[in-house]
Amino acid sequence: MTQSSAPSAPSAATSSSAAGSVLKKPSNVSAFKDRSKPEHVRDSNIIAAKSIAEAVRTSLGPKGMDKMIQSSDGSVTITNDGATILKQMQVSHPAAKMLVELSKAQDIEAGDGTTTVVVIAGALLDASSKLLAKGIHPTVISESFQRASAKARQVLQGISHKVELSDRQSLLQSASTSLNSKVVSQFSSQLAPIAVDAVMKVIDPATATNVDLRDIKLIKKLGGTVDDTELIDGLVLDQKAAGFDAPKKVEKAKIGLIQFCISPPKTDMENNVIINDYTQMDRILKEERQYILNIVKKIKASNCNVLLIQKSILRDAVNELALHFLSKMKIMVVKDIERDDIEFICKSLACKPIASLDHFSGEMLGYADLVEEVSTGSSRVVKFTGVANPGRTVSVLVRGSNRLVLDEADRSIHDALCVIRCLVKERALIAGGGAPEIELVIRLSEYANTLTGMEQYCFRAFAEALEIVPYTLAENAGLNPIATVTELRNRHAQGQYTAGINVRKGLITDILEENVVQPLLVSQSAISLASETVRSILKIDDIINTA
Amino acid sequence: MSYQPFSMYKAGADEEKAENARLSAFVGAIAIGDLIKSTLGPKGMDKILQGNERKEMQVTNDGATILKSIGIDNPAAKILIDISKVQDDEVGDGTTSVTVLACELLREAEALIGQKIHPQTIVSGFRKATVAARGALEASAIDNSRDQAGFRADLLNIAKTTLSSKILTQYKDLYANLAVDAVLRLKGSGNLDAIQIIKKLGGSLADSYLDEGFLLDKKIGLNQPKRIEKAKILIANTPMDTDKIKVFGSRVKVDSVAKVAELELAEKEKMKEKVEKIVKHGANVFINRQLIYNYPEQLFADAGMMAIEHADFEGVERLALVLGGEIVSTFDCPDKVRLGQCELIEEVMIGEDMLIKFSGVALGEACTIVLRGATQQILDEAERSLHDALCVLTRTVREPRIVFGGGCSEMLMANAVSNAAAQTPGKEAIAMESFAKALRQLPTYIADNAGYDSSELVAQLRAFHASGQSVYGLNMLEGKCDDVKALGITESFHLKRQVLLSASEAAEMILRVDDIIKAAPRRRNADMRHH
Repeated sequence: MTQSSAPSAPSAATSSSAAGSVLKKPSNVSAFKDRSKPEHVRDSNIIAAKSIAEAVRTSLGPKGMDKMIQSSDGSVTITNDGATILKQMQVSHPAAKMLVELSKAQDIEAGDGTTTVVVIAGALLDASSKLLAKGIHPTVISESFQRASAKARQVLQGISHKVELSDRQSLLQSASTSLNSKVVSQFSSQLAPIAVDAVMKVIDPATATNVDLRDIKLIKKLGGTVDDTELIDGLVLDQKAAGFDAPKKVEKAKIGLIQFCISPPKTDMENNVIINDYTQMDRILKEERQYILNIVKKIKASNCNVLLIQKSILRDAVNELALHFLSKMKIMVVKDIERDDIEFICKSLACKPIASLDHFSGEMLGYADLVEEVSTGSSRVVKFTGVANPGRTVSVLVRGSNRLVLDEADRSIHDALCVIRCLVKERALIAGGGAPEIELVIRLSEYANTLTGMEQYCFRAFAEALEIVPYTLAENAGLNPIATVTELRNRHAQGQYTAGINVRKGLITDILEENVVQPLLVSQSAISLASETVRSILKIDDIINTA
Repeated sequence: MSYQPFSMYKAGADEEKAENARLSAFVGAIAIGDLIKSTLGPKGMDKILQGNERKEMQVTNDGATILKSIGIDNPAAKILIDISKVQDDEVGDGTTSVTVLACELLREAEALIGQKIHPQTIVSGFRKATVAARGALEASAIDNSRDQAGFRADLLNIAKTTLSSKILTQYKDLYANLAVDAVLRLKGSGNLDAIQIIKKLGGSLADSYLDEGFLLDKKIGLNQPKRIEKAKILIANTPMDTDKIKVFGSRVKVDSVAKVAELELAEKEKMKEKVEKIVKHGANVFINRQLIYNYPEQLFADAGMMAIEHADFEGVERLALVLGGEIVSTFDCPDKVRLGQCELIEEVMIGEDMLIKFSGVALGEACTIVLRGATQQILDEAERSLHDALCVLTRTVREPRIVFGGGCSEMLMANAVSNAAAQTPGKEAIAMESFAKALRQLPTYIADNAGYDSSELVAQLRAFHASGQSVYGLNMLEGKCDDVKALGITESFHLKRQVLLSASEAAEMILRVDDIIKAAPRRRNADMRHH
């Protein structure tokens, strides 16, 4: 950033003020003519932001490529998820950072389309740099883009079709469209139903307007392949069953979730036990034993046979002696449950957390037909199935043969879940495969002709910038981008608004027949978020380094 | 004996005299004005403030924020920064205008000094000009406060005018309504604490909304009711982990484990007692500033109470204000404690987060504005803009007079000053004429920033005013002079007066300087203040 200006010293200030007072503005100049510095700043912002967009452009679409990112601590991520790539890129240029934020916002709002949104923003910036070169004032561009994006949302709304949440087929198609652009695309036929079922399970399709994705727990376990990924109706815990000879499988389980500790007593105040002679030591050991045995007996008395224990930082949540007693009494133990997970577990198992021994009674327990420890490659998980009155939660056990695939599968499933969530929020679908963007190009250009002045220019530029999406899709699929995009325009001009790029066949076909669909919300939010960010970049005319 | 010329000052200390001192003061102040003048007006530009790695970058158009962030070593420049801060505290908006006006006054003064006019003459001319300008401004101010609908329209227009120079300009109707609704709810109390702004990433600026009631970004305890109607709320700041003796190194000594177990039990009993005492207050919601551990949480659940832990300090204070309760730390006299009340407490989802919503709160004026936006920078800037609008509006509620914006008031004042100058015999008249010129610079910059031909527009505007059409100002949407009264471009009288007075005072102060003495810089290592 060479354009930094901090008049921190009077000498630096002298030059800038001299320039300000010497250059009296010539009169009768009506077109926008800015001083040179804002121009430089704007250029530098646009170039930086565009290069971010360039960097992720190649990962757009089903034939998009992945990126390998090595972080400073040496760990490697392979992904084609735009938000993940950008998060790891550690950009320093302020304008570039805004694009990173943009993809984060899309991730929050829609969950998918994080690459698309950055690519669109890059194209819009490219378009605006051309408009600026023509001498159009940045705020005029900014306002026109705002109106254009509102218009674009309308057009998208117009070409969308309603979908019911009971229409499983459509939901599956949109989940597969999202999954098809990821590493795990060959497993999309397995993962799509998992995503759809998971969301359907945690909501009430009749009334839901939003999905709390925290009700869906994704647990990653190395080993197996991605197609071993399964949806578990019940609960999976990442921890293994504790104790050496404790039961590993319990049928008709009564599950207790405790938040107190089964270990020798400890007061909040510091305490010393003073021993004077040998016999006292013996007595203390005995007392300790007695104390723990008492607790365990009380637990047993309530017929509890699976015990989940919350992690404690103050003391041992459960000590060896307690584990020994518990396993003798055939109680399965899972320890190190995080406090944050307690709510989810309670919801899933319909049990209540027990914070003190006095509260330990039958009605606090949850029930499951089967609790068992399952080994998954090198590690183990505990599965709960056949839960009585389960809450609306679900667990997904994600498997993968190596960590990189596993992480990417996790991200892909998250994206697919988000796609379904979008459909819950806004129950409408549009065609995929670049069809909506081309339709926007044509409709917005037509609309532009009804406008006059600078606005028409800006609308047209906005429309043409959106062509970047089908163009990149074609390019990434190894097709001739110009031939593809022009044909696509042609088909749309003839009114075939569902014509899109069929990447699998390398042709332009009716994309709905190929079942490539995406939620309306993803495209709408991509366009409005991208234009909002572009507008705020356009309005910047100075970068100031602060102390 | 040495014949070296001796220095009065310590090594490192410095003195600048007469010409030099004045030059450095002018140069510094003018540089500040030049830095931020491009943010002025509805088509003003934003700036990126880039901090070091640890500080987030900001994108802003708010003069006070920009000036606060830059490091300055020039004493005169610091004065300008100070007046923008004062303007920010006093009025909340117009921070750029005040700085730019002061800078223009100094620019004119520099030229006058070049003509060998004594600074004191300039100062007294400026004073006379200020009086004339202020009189003209006051004469043009309009008071609509008696007419309910008219006053609301005024407030809306003021909010729109303020917002139109900010990032929210595209949504100014939405946000102006938000701000006016929020401020009118305050019923003149002007307590901005009752308006809470929550920023949530995601969505677009158009998705922001005003929520009656109060939102708290916290979680309700496990197994506790998630929805309570007719809630009675006890707000506390008390440790709910253990009641510890706060003496360092306090410890107990026992001789058996059984006794430790007894002590443990006693501690638990103590907690139980405390919870029982709290329950006795008859509240059904308990909000604590500190953590609530598992055990008390369960006890509250047993009692059917909603317990919310770890509401931070600001959260608790605001809750106490909004819910009309008081913050307690001891629970021995339930009858003396004032409980907070509200109609309904429930969980709501915003973006991806679950928040707790208190509706029908005791302090009817309380409300929450939820801001949504694509990036953190947009959100931050939106918050600053909205805050400015809220400040100006609360000011206007107190001082309901309005004046017209779009360069109209400045031109009005400039012409009044020119007229006064024409009737003033002596050198001061030249200074007054310069003051008028400086005032005319503000509309010039507004037009410049919008990319229009400023000389032409300002000359036209002057002609309109000279011919008595004193409601004419700049219409920056179409690039012409227009009736700003009809366009609804209004500003708070208080704001404009403050801009005028602060700027001329600051300019006067800098003008009077003829000597700058710099103390020897204290030796220190790298500046760690901002880290």
